Amino acid sequence: MAQKRILIIDDDVDFVDLNKAVLVNNGFEVETAFSAREGMDKVQFEAPDLILLDLMLEKHDTGFSFAKAIKADPRYKTIPILMISAVAGETGYDFTQEQDGYWMKTDDFVAKPVEPEELVKRINALIDRTKQG
Amino acid sequence: MAESVTILVVDDEKGIREGCRRILASEGYGVDVAENGKMALEMVKGKPYDLILVDLMMPVMGGLELMEHVRQIDPGIILVVITGFATVETAVDAMKHGAYDYIPKPFNPDQLMAVIGRGLDKRRLTIETEKLREERDQRLLEVASEKSKLHTIVNSMADGILVINREHQLVLWNPAVLKMLNVRGRVDESGVGMDFQKALKQQDLIDVINKAFSPDSSQYTIISEEVVLAGETPKTLMVNVAGVRDERGENLGVVCTFRDISRLKEVEEIKSQFVRMVAHEIRAPLGAIEGYLNAYLTGVAGTDPQFNPQMLERAKLRARSLMDLVNDLLLFAKLESTKVVRKKELLDITEIIQSTVELFRVQGSTKDVSFSVEIPEKLPLIEADRSEMEQLFTNLVSNAMKYNVKNGKVTVRAMPEPHYLSISVSDTGIGIEEDCLSCIFDEFYRVQGPNTRYTTGTGLGLSIVKRIVESHFGRIEVESKVGKGTVFTVRLPLKQVNDK
Repeated sequence: MAQKRILIIDDDVDFVDLNKAVLVNNGFEVETAFSAREGMDKVQFEAPDLILLDLMLEKHDTGFSFAKAIKADPRYKTIPILMISAVAGETGYDFTQEQDGYWMKTDDFVAKPVEPEELVKRINALIDRTKQG
Repeated sequence: MAESVTILVVDDEKGIREGCRRILASEGYGVDVAENGKMALEMVKGKPYDLILVDLMMPVMGGLELMEHVRQIDPGIILVVITGFATVETAVDAMKHGAYDYIPKPFNPDQLMAVIGRGLDKRRLTIETEKLREERDQRLLEVASEKSKLHTIVNSMADGILVINREHQLVLWNPAVLKMLNVRGRVDESGVGMDFQKALKQQDLIDVINKAFSPDSSQYTIISEEVVLAGETPKTLMVNVAGVRDERGENLGVVCTFRDISRLKEVEEIKSQFVRMVAHEIRAPLGAIEGYLNAYLTGVAGTDPQFNPQMLERAKLRARSLMDLVNDLLLFAKLESTKVVRKKELLDITEIIQSTVELFRVQGSTKDVSFSVEIPEKLPLIEADRSEMEQLFTNLVSNAMKYNVKNGKVTVRAMPEPHYLSISVSDTGIGIEEDCLSCIFDEFYRVQGPNTRYTTGTGLGLSIVKRIVESHFGRIEVESKVGKGTVFTVRLPLKQVNDK
C-alpha cells in the first residue's frame, strides 16, 4: 500500500514540526503549509490524501474559508479535512455557527492539543471512511 | 387676655363716656374715649382697638359714618352701637352698617358687660380663625413648594422613572424615560391614565413590569433585569421594578427606574473578548511545550538524534515566550489602569535611548546587527515617565533587531521639531507588507510569514508602545518597505516653557 500523504496547514511552526515528526514516525508522508495561500498551492501540486487544517490560520483568514474553498472545488472536494483548533466550545466558539457545514458530514474535528495516538487514529479512520465512501 | 384688650368709647354725652370708662377699666380693659366720630377716627388710625362702643347720634361725625370708615381701616374691629332710640329699626340699620351688637340707653353695668363680653368673644374667635387661616395658607404654600421640588428632581434625573398604578395606567414619568424608551411621540402630557402596555409596546419590558403585578410578586422586593431594546442602535437598559403596597400589603402599583447601560455592556464585551484572546495566546505555547515534552518522553515523533534535543530547545523557547507574554500582560494591565500615577519628570531622552541601545549592543544578537545613535547635542527635555520611556524604546529597538536581516543595522535618531520631539527607530530588516500595517498596533497581532515564523513575540509589544505614546499625548507613525526595512517615528510633545 502506498504511503498516505498528509498536508498540515497551521501558522504555528511548532505545531507543524511536531505533528510532522509524529506523522512521519507513523508511516505518513507529510507536506506542510503555514498559510491558506501556501496550503492551496500544496493541494494543487502535492495531491494530499488528507488535510490537517488549523481553524485559526490568521486574522481574517480562518480555516473555515479555506475548507469551503476546497470543498467548492470539484477537483479537491473529495479530499477529507481534519479540522483542528484550540478554539473549542469553552472559548466561545460554536461550530454549529458555520452555516455551510455540509463538508463536516464526511470530515472530522479534533481539539488542540491532541494526543499523538488520537491524531493518528483519527487520520486513519477518516482516510478509510473516505475510501469506502 | 383682659389687659391686652383695648376698647374705644365714642359718645358725645360725657356721663356715658366716663361711666363706661370706669366700668370697663375696673374690669381690666384698656379704655380710650372720644366725644365725636371725627376724633374717634383719628384715634383708630393711630392705634389698634378690639372693640368700639359707639353712639349713633353725635355732632361732627355720626356713628354710622364712623363705622363705615372704621370698617375700611380694620374690618376685624367689633362695633357695638349705643342707641337712645331703642327701636328695632335703628338697631337693624346699624347692623347693616357692620355693627355686631347694640345696647339701648339707658343701661346698667351688667348689661354693658354682657354686650361687651359677647363682642370680645366674637373678636377672639375672629382672631383665632384668622390665625388658623394663615397657618393653613402657609402649609399649603409649603406643600406646593415641596411638590415643585419633587417635580424638579424627578424631571432632572438622568435615570428614567415611570410610575404605574394598579389599573396598569401611567401615573408619572420623567423626560429621561421617554427618551430612553423612545416613546416621546406616544406619551405626552395627556398620557396620564394611558395603559402602560400600549404606551411601551416593547414586549420584553412589559414582561418585566408585569412580573411585579403578578399575584405571587410578593416574593420579590425589587425586580432587576437587563432588557435589550431593539432599534436602530440597540440599547441595553437596567430595569428596576418595585411594587408599591399599602399597609395591608395590597398592590397599589409599581415604580420603575431605567438606566441605560449600553456603554457598560460594550466595555464588558471588549473585556471578555480580550480574555478569550489571552486564553488562546496562552494555550498555543502551552500546547506546543506539552507536545514537545510528550514526544520527547514517549518517542512518538521518532528518535531522530537531531530532532530530539531540538524539541527541548523549542519547548524552552516557547516557555520563554509565555513568560514574556505574562510580563507584557501585566504591563498592559498597568497601562490600562486609570488609577496609575505616572511619575512625569523632565527627562533627557538622549540618555534613555543610549542606555537602551547599549543594553542590546552588549546582549548582542545572533544576527550580528549593528546599532547607531544619531542625536544632536542639547536635545530639549521632555516631560515623561522614565520607566515607560525605557519600555517604549526597549520594545522598538528590540523589534528593529528581531525583524532585521543578518548583519543588518538599527538606527535611532532624535530631532527637535516645532512643539514636538521626534524620535525614529529604523531597521534594515524584512519590512512589513502594506496591508498588515494597519493591524500592527492591535493586541496580539503578529505578521505571519516565512521570515517571522521562528521569531517569538507576544503580539503586545507595539500595542504597549502605542499606549505609552498616547498616554504622553504623543503620536506614532510607521513607514515600511518589504525587504528594505521599517521606520517607527514617535513624536512626543515638548514641555511648553517659552509659550507666548
